[in-house]
Amino acid sequence: MNARAEGKHYPEVTFRVDPARVSAFRQVFDLATGLPPTFSTAAEFAVFPDIVGDPELRLDYRRVVHGAQEYTHHRPLVEGEQLTIRSRLESIRAKAGNGFLTIVTELVGADGDVACTARSTMIERGGGS
Amino acid sequence: MMRAAPGDELPPLRRIVTREDVLAYARASGDENPLHQDDEVARAAGFPGILAHGMFTMGHLAACLVAWAGNPAQVIGITAHFRSPVFVDDEIVAGGRVVAVEDDVATLETWVSVDREGRTEWPIKRGAARIQLA
Repeated sequence: MNARAEGKHYPEVTFRVDPARVSAFRQVFDLATGLPPTFSTAAEFAVFPDIVGDPELRLDYRRVVHGAQEYTHHRPLVEGEQLTIRSRLESIRAKAGNGFLTIVTELVGADGDVACTARSTMIERGGGS
Repeated sequence: MMRAAPGDELPPLRRIVTREDVLAYARASGDENPLHQDDEVARAAGFPGILAHGMFTMGHLAACLVAWAGNPAQVIGITAHFRSPVFVDDEIVAGGRVVAVEDDVATLETWVSVDREGRTEWPIKRGAARIQLA
């Protein structure tokens, strides 16, 4: 992993809060109504392929495990709404021989309001050098 | 508005993880990593079989919070560090405790445990959540 990619922003992508997908997500967790608090992960996965495949970052995805995850909901997502997904590499650190990549993703509503901020830490095992 | 005070414990939420659960989660979330879908790939990586996604375990924890809060929209913050893997047939138990209440927001410490061969492991330990009470 290339630590110099720290701070990089990725092109925005659009993501629809598809009611069928929300329903499938609710079913997995046996929730009756509303947006599951971790549904925002589906929006993160709209942009993660660009990060995982970024030749500048050089992340070795075969050695990657999910280290930590954080969601801050500024307002509830609305089924059917169209969001703009904006990701950046907040930090890249080496610790105990592993590489730690923290990605911040904002889910932005039509009015430009940030509905949710997601922070995802990926660990590239043995990738600290 | 719901009432909460420091020290309140959430009712634990138990779930036995099935292969169908993990595959359904992969489809719904878009996380198609083969470690979570293909036993051969998981074994090649040194695991006994497919792992549940960390986000599956976190989603179960979120369901525990929703059951307590009453409405998913009240869960305004949730944080987890993933510490140990969860496999098919594991029984995971999500729980939490109120540590502070301020301005109609409860701050919780959260966790997910699994008992495996007489030992308790912690797929999520010292997680945090913020619940809007009103």
